[in-house]
Amino acid sequence: MALAKLCQNLVMKKNDFNLPLKTAMVWMAFCLMVSVGAQAQTYPSKPIRLIVPFPAGGATDIFARTLSQKLAEKLGTSVVVDNKPGAGGTLGSDMVAKAPPDGYTLLLATSSTHSIGPNLNPKMPYDAVRDFTPIGQVGNAPSIMLVPNSSPAKTVQEWIDYARKNPGRLNYASSGNGTIVQLTAELFKSQAGVFVVHIPYKGTALAMPDLISGKVDVLFDSLPTGLPHVRDGRLRALGVTTAQRTPLAPGVPPISEVLPGYESTTWFGVFGPPGLRAELVNRINTAANQALKEAEVADKLQKLGIEAVGGTPAEFTSMLASESAKWKKIINERKISLD
Amino acid sequence: MELYNNLALGFGVAFTVQNLLYAFLGCMLGTLIGVLPGIGPVATIAMLLPATYALPPVAALIMLAGIYYGAQYGGSTTAILVNLPGESSSVVTVIDGYQMARKGRAGPALAAAGLGSFFAGCVGTLILAAFAAPLTEVAFKFGPAEYFSLMILGLIGAVVLASGSLLKAVAMIVLGLLLGLVGTDVNSGVARFSFDIPELTDGIGFIVIAMGVFGYGEIISNLSKPEDEREVFTGKVTGLFPTKEDFKNMIPAVLRGTAIGSILGILPGGGALLAAFAAYTIEKKTKLRPGEVPFGQGNIRGVAAPESANNAGSQTSFIPLLTLGIPPNAVMALMVGAMTIHNIQPGPQVMTSNPELFWGLIASMWIGNLMLVILNLPLIGMWIKLLTVPYRWLFPAIVLFCAIGVYSTNNNTFDIWMVAAFGVIGYMFIKLGVEPAPLLLGFILGPMMEENLRRALLLSRGDWTVFVTRGLSASLLAAAVVLLVIVLLPAVKSKREEAFVEE
Repeated sequence: MALAKLCQNLVMKKNDFNLPLKTAMVWMAFCLMVSVGAQAQTYPSKPIRLIVPFPAGGATDIFARTLSQKLAEKLGTSVVVDNKPGAGGTLGSDMVAKAPPDGYTLLLATSSTHSIGPNLNPKMPYDAVRDFTPIGQVGNAPSIMLVPNSSPAKTVQEWIDYARKNPGRLNYASSGNGTIVQLTAELFKSQAGVFVVHIPYKGTALAMPDLISGKVDVLFDSLPTGLPHVRDGRLRALGVTTAQRTPLAPGVPPISEVLPGYESTTWFGVFGPPGLRAELVNRINTAANQALKEAEVADKLQKLGIEAVGGTPAEFTSMLASESAKWKKIINERKISLD
Repeated sequence: MELYNNLALGFGVAFTVQNLLYAFLGCMLGTLIGVLPGIGPVATIAMLLPATYALPPVAALIMLAGIYYGAQYGGSTTAILVNLPGESSSVVTVIDGYQMARKGRAGPALAAAGLGSFFAGCVGTLILAAFAAPLTEVAFKFGPAEYFSLMILGLIGAVVLASGSLLKAVAMIVLGLLLGLVGTDVNSGVARFSFDIPELTDGIGFIVIAMGVFGYGEIISNLSKPEDEREVFTGKVTGLFPTKEDFKNMIPAVLRGTAIGSILGILPGGGALLAAFAAYTIEKKTKLRPGEVPFGQGNIRGVAAPESANNAGSQTSFIPLLTLGIPPNAVMALMVGAMTIHNIQPGPQVMTSNPELFWGLIASMWIGNLMLVILNLPLIGMWIKLLTVPYRWLFPAIVLFCAIGVYSTNNNTFDIWMVAAFGVIGYMFIKLGVEPAPLLLGFILGPMMEENLRRALLLSRGDWTVFVTRGLSASLLAAAVVLLVIVLLPAVKSKREEAFVEE
């Protein structure tokens, strides 16, 4: 950049130096070429904006901040987290969908913005597949099945039997219509063949008093919100929603032992705007994978109840497709809609 | 004397030079941002959160807690001086506080707010320390039906907030309820009244309405008057400290406010908000002493009671946070995030697994309150000087800070357009002679009422009698009916004149 400016100054002062116009133009073109070429080779040359479409302080936000520090080291530039909350994550995601594909605007999204949201909301401002370049998965968060202490069930199978004996009399809590918490429960209902009534709240933390006092009978919550209550003995954890046991919640069996094939996790991934060049995608993907391998990052993520999971852009793309298909099926089957 | 040992542990932790320094820093920062209208603790804590990663957990939490209280103190300052409620809990302080300032009694108003808050903070901290565990059991008794009945009670009390015509107060409450409907419905996920504007799917922000209606509306109205008629503040400031007479009036108000705030703050999910409104309502119901200024025109009790209530409420609202992990508002949610980063899961086991953190935090709350009073009382003189700045310099500054504050909540310029729109609406309100405070109460309570009503009905499978068959809910509804009768009874003329000043 400095070189180009120098050339420009030289050209402007052509009266002093008596430089013929043609030569000056050649010099300027040369300088500009060099500077542009230099930019292309030395990505990143300015700070990168990592957009988090959720409010500050939430799991996605803390994840982003932890990741951004390490990403900054690996990429050699500062990575700034920018919170753009609203509309369940669609506002921030939309910003990145419409940003220029220069590698300086990235998105940390989750399954709610890209796998579930598009299948629920017919009026999304973006297309989850066309308007983004998948860069790589960065995390996976399981949910955990929680019941109050007063519940007669001590295992998943017992609970299913209990629910089958009381169709329509039990309640499950969720953080709202169309959230992963609700869909996890609906998937359970569908595979177990039970009828439980949906009680939405404005957040799973707000459902806790009602769950603890037994007004609702089950909640499929994220680990950080649920585990402290389990440890304190107010709630019982019956199962996790990963396909196998997870080190994040040792001692809790996976629900898939009772319901084969049951799996419901929240994935976290980094996206770029549409049309991002492959070399930039790979660059960021490599840096992210390296960042995830650091013990500090894995440790912080564990506290958030998230497993650090890396992978290639291709793996990410195929995972996205299968997740989207799975949730689409459930949403259509259970007739979940935003109306 | 387990409590004594625990407190000793806590003070030992909090009284280290480093932690005291962080407490002071937090309080300073908090006061500064609280005073700047619009920029609230949420934005500041979000900005400072990454900086606290490097600090040891206790120090980080102490600083964040200091910012939180500081912002509350600062929020009362702007409410009194420039009619801008920085937080939802300052809305009630505006009513009498601003009137006191206009009469040249800003000093006593600020002092009343500061001292009342300090007292309430101390009491609240003691309650938190001594009764945290048993009080959470009380919170469990409150299900959706009880919350709904409590809010009905609060809503009827809102009518008493207005000192003008009853019809206008009801109209404003209803308008507030309607504005509260904008956004995504919890139960069905449908976006209501969003007109396909994505920014509206989360509803209209409280700050947006408060800044617009209170702040910009007032500015527009002041500017619309010719220069010499702008009685913004009298030049004569009669003393910085409350008089003996003031103290005599204040003390019972502070006691009542503290009691109400401590009780209501325990309820997870907005109890502290109601505390200030409830305290003001109850103050208004007590007989006026001879020679006392009527409520709505600058009665010091109308400042002391809500301020004590909201400070006691914010202390006791730590109880559901520390014992159940339920944050009572957005700021606390950020604190939960901060704790998580520092490897502490806020929840029941914090008291047993990290006792030095829990009790250190409690001790630092007390220290923070003390620091804030020491910081703020001398500053009153400085704030008074600020009022003497000519209005033509003051109002652009207010406009700017409000805009910055509103933008900082969501990083979205749409919010600034909304504030401008509400400013015009606020001006219309002033011209029509309606009071905005009931609107804000309706705005806050409406969505909560609806959510709890529908949830109670979902849980009871459509059975409406659940509201009267559950004991606590039934008694709250009965109290609401009694309040309604008191408010509407035209035959009790003397009581009515007390509650309303006829226009």
